Amino acid sequence: QEAAKYGKKVMVLDFVTPTPLGSSWGLGGTCVNVGCIPKKLMHQAALLGQALQDSRKFGWQFTEEVKHNWMTMTESVQNYIGSLNWGYRVALREKSVTYENAYGEFVGPHTVKATNKRGVEKLYTAEKFLIATGERPRYLGIPGDKEYCISSDDLFSLPYCPGKTLVVGASYVALECAGFLAGLGLDVTVMVRSILLRGFDQEMANKIGEYMEEHGINFIREFVPIKVEQIEEGTPGRLKVTAKSTKGNQIIEGEYNTVLLAIGRDACTRNIGLDKVGVKINEKTGKIPVNDEEQTNVPYIYAIGDILQDKLELTPVAIQAGRLLVQRLYAGATSKCDYVNVPTTVFTPLEYGACGYSEETAMEKFGEENIEVYHSHFWPLEWTVASRDNNKCYAKIICNIKDNERVIGFHVLGPNAGE
Amino acid sequence: MGWEEKQVRGYPEFVQTAQSYHGRPIFALFCGDKDAEGRSWCPDCVTAEPVVRKELPNMPDGSVFIYCLVGDRAYWKDPNNEFRKNLKLTGVPTLLKYGTPQKLVEEECFKPELVRMLFTED
Repeated sequence: QEAAKYGKKVMVLDFVTPTPLGSSWGLGGTCVNVGCIPKKLMHQAALLGQALQDSRKFGWQFTEEVKHNWMTMTESVQNYIGSLNWGYRVALREKSVTYENAYGEFVGPHTVKATNKRGVEKLYTAEKFLIATGERPRYLGIPGDKEYCISSDDLFSLPYCPGKTLVVGASYVALECAGFLAGLGLDVTVMVRSILLRGFDQEMANKIGEYMEEHGINFIREFVPIKVEQIEEGTPGRLKVTAKSTKGNQIIEGEYNTVLLAIGRDACTRNIGLDKVGVKINEKTGKIPVNDEEQTNVPYIYAIGDILQDKLELTPVAIQAGRLLVQRLYAGATSKCDYVNVPTTVFTPLEYGACGYSEETAMEKFGEENIEVYHSHFWPLEWTVASRDNNKCYAKIICNIKDNERVIGFHVLGPNAGE
Repeated sequence: MGWEEKQVRGYPEFVQTAQSYHGRPIFALFCGDKDAEGRSWCPDCVTAEPVVRKELPNMPDGSVFIYCLVGDRAYWKDPNNEFRKNLKLTGVPTLLKYGTPQKLVEEECFKPELVRMLFTED
């Protein structure tokens, strides 16, 4: 939209390859359709359930049984997402941006092939290209994973309640999903291979895990699934999961209605013809290295978002990078996207907001003796009357002693941490 | 099979008509009432109607087009009228695909490409 503002002729090729189970979605990318938006709405649904319990202490009286209807929530969420998809269609159309629901791939210099869902191919040429193909959930590579397991790509539009769920993974996706599923009243187990929230401050990660465990979520630590079998078909069906210890030969089995894989996401860069135009990618991770102006090694091809190597995987960052890039290209601007000190939030049952360095990374970078940490547990006022935990919420700031105790990391664990 | 048009007035008649066509694509255009000379109190509706009508042949086969007069200006301005409350309409003219979040509001209805996009969107 930004480029069209400067009078450029613009085309967007967006296409969603359906999941192994057939899920697909409209225009808007991961965040809108199968990420931030539905995630936060379902997190809110779970919080409201908790609020109903708290409300009794504040004087609200109602009959004991409060139940949750998965379909009602999911339909409302999908309806809202549908309005966003439509809003983007209208916005692009109004700005004269050509949109095609087609899979784009490079076939030669300055040329892409677009294949629509009916298999019809068209060729397009352009002066410049911007790749923002994002990522998709990774599968385990074990028997039964693609046939029987779901991912976040399926969860937010699942046409039946998932029931007793095993979440495999310890990413924020895994913990957020486990969190709201449990908050909606489901029996949830999280199977973790090693640590929680790799890359995040580990003291905070462990507090998040403890809170979830104390509030009814089961954790199986240091195990990985090796096989998923179907016991019974259904919506949901019944699945048998066999898992092996990472520390020995112990094998365990469990039965679940749903297995949700959240072990990581892989960049969609391997099948878009980058080799045909010479764009270098990191062969191991699939990510694209770019300079500080989001330019790949091919001067007329740029990239933004989750596919970038060594950058943040956050929607507002990608949007900002895209806008600034276009302003530099077509409006004579010089501002580059600043990827440092971007605030982010994990929407686990106890929310975690952070900006800057984790304690470990700060100590590594500046030296343990040069770091001062100020911290405190706190009891949110709204939790007092509701008789909720008085020593779980926590905040800390990490300061660089050598730079006048400048705050280089801020971490807060508590309700509304995001805000 | 082509498409057909139904003209209705007021909320109960709209709902009854929409329900009777359940299963077929339904597009609805909501406009302010017309006077004896056939002019609506809503000037944007006057502008939008011919634009929308011109694009009707682009609706999928078997579609139903419901042309709905919502009421007089006073009724429309009431923030609790049934169209606002139940259909979540925020303005007239509104052109929508019934049962989906897809709609065009006010000046969006003046643009033939947007109207065509609404009618042909998968």
